[in-house]
Amino acid sequence: MARGGSNRSRLLLVILLVSSLLLITLDLRGVGVTSGSRNATQVILSPIQKAASDIFAPVGRFMSDVKNFGKTKAQIAELKLANAKLKQEAAFSSDTKGQLAQLKSVLDLAGRGGFKTVSARVIGRGSSSTFSQTITLDAGTGSGIRKNMTVISENGLVGVVKDSTINSSIVLLMSDPTFRIGVRVARTQSVGVLMGEGGGSYTLELLDPAGTMQVGDSLISIGSDNNRPYIPGLPVGAITKVDHTTTSLTQRATVKSFANLNDLGVVSVVLAAPTTAPSKPINPTPRATITVLVTPTPTPSVSGSPTPTAAPSKVKK
Amino acid sequence: MSPVRLGFSTAFLFLVFAIQESVISRVHLPITGFSLYLAVLICLIALEDRNGAVVMGFIGGLVLDLSPTSQSPFGQWALIFTIIGYLISSNLESVGDFTSEPISFVVFIAAGSALALTSYLFAGLLLGENIGSLSRTLIVIAGNFIWTMVFTPFFLPLIRKAREATLTSKERM
Repeated sequence: MARGGSNRSRLLLVILLVSSLLLITLDLRGVGVTSGSRNATQVILSPIQKAASDIFAPVGRFMSDVKNFGKTKAQIAELKLANAKLKQEAAFSSDTKGQLAQLKSVLDLAGRGGFKTVSARVIGRGSSSTFSQTITLDAGTGSGIRKNMTVISENGLVGVVKDSTINSSIVLLMSDPTFRIGVRVARTQSVGVLMGEGGGSYTLELLDPAGTMQVGDSLISIGSDNNRPYIPGLPVGAITKVDHTTTSLTQRATVKSFANLNDLGVVSVVLAAPTTAPSKPINPTPRATITVLVTPTPTPSVSGSPTPTAAPSKVKK
Repeated sequence: MSPVRLGFSTAFLFLVFAIQESVISRVHLPITGFSLYLAVLICLIALEDRNGAVVMGFIGGLVLDLSPTSQSPFGQWALIFTIIGYLISSNLESVGDFTSEPISFVVFIAAGSALALTSYLFAGLLLGENIGSLSRTLIVIAGNFIWTMVFTPFFLPLIRKAREATLTSKERM
């Protein structure tokens, strides 16, 4: 009897293991059923997440106030805003200097503002059991949000839209270990790749072995084709430590992001970069030219011969 | 495990999953987050017999695979928890049932959660996923272990009662 029961258990175990492996294979082969089920779950969960966000936001604020003790919330918010502005200005300023030095200032100016964006509230965060660094937004395809759109906060880059349903979107945060973005050191214009580490720090790997960087250098996004997934010119972060001891061919540095990913309440999704951005060479407009045609007219002289005098006969623009 | 109880258990797990995704994951705890779902699932698996534990592990893993924020292949958690369900049930049979001893049970649930996370990462590595830095990963697992130890005593009686409510009269005997 016991042997029979044990055999049944093993058979059940084998069936379930094979089923799991089959599901993994189907998912890795890109069968839509599995991704569809996750989208369906998101559609079901997003109203619950919205409701939970509304209910627990005051609790969260209260907890935050308790955590901050004597500090005034309004004062902190004001200082944060001012600090963010200063960081942005500093990043833009040094970026512009670098670009001017290399006569590349016309590129990436699209990222300096004027984006068409849609704002959304953060209604959920990735579970710790999935190890993924994500947030859930309360706006989706109904608001024009599509996969691979850039997500920004007041301080700069936050992440990229990983998936979206009609009323919600999942954003892969830049801290996720799978996150990669091409960046440029604003001061020297050296290009590199920034990688998420799963926490608050990031690793920058310079592509140019001869490129230079130092602590405090600001990083700006390079951008992607058609501005998706990344728009150019966004402030990304600042270098906090340069690794001089690395044995690899490329230079590495530790970076801290400008955006505080632990404190995201509202973010903006960039729907489109401005079409008037000077990303292409600007053709100078031809100036108006005036052509004066002079026809000599005979004037009577003493001898009766005509003397030529200038008289405008035709003006052409 | 009767089909009715399987249905109730699945619904209960989905409810816990919704709480995890909507409420718990919003709470910023020091070190790292806490996974209520993992703790509840390990607890339910430990209270089942061998077949029940394997089925519960598979169903619980499938529910966790539904997580929209997950980047792992669909079925990875189901695979992990099927194996964990089998391992837990076979060890409980040989070591002896300690689910009636609260402290031992809490430690067991915390260790089970840590084992589940480690197995998940290991499976991810085998499938070629990027799991980030080792130090960060260890912090997440250790943090989850600590928070599971802290919070499990508060909801463990509730889980036991909820499970008992779904037992059929035959299973109660």
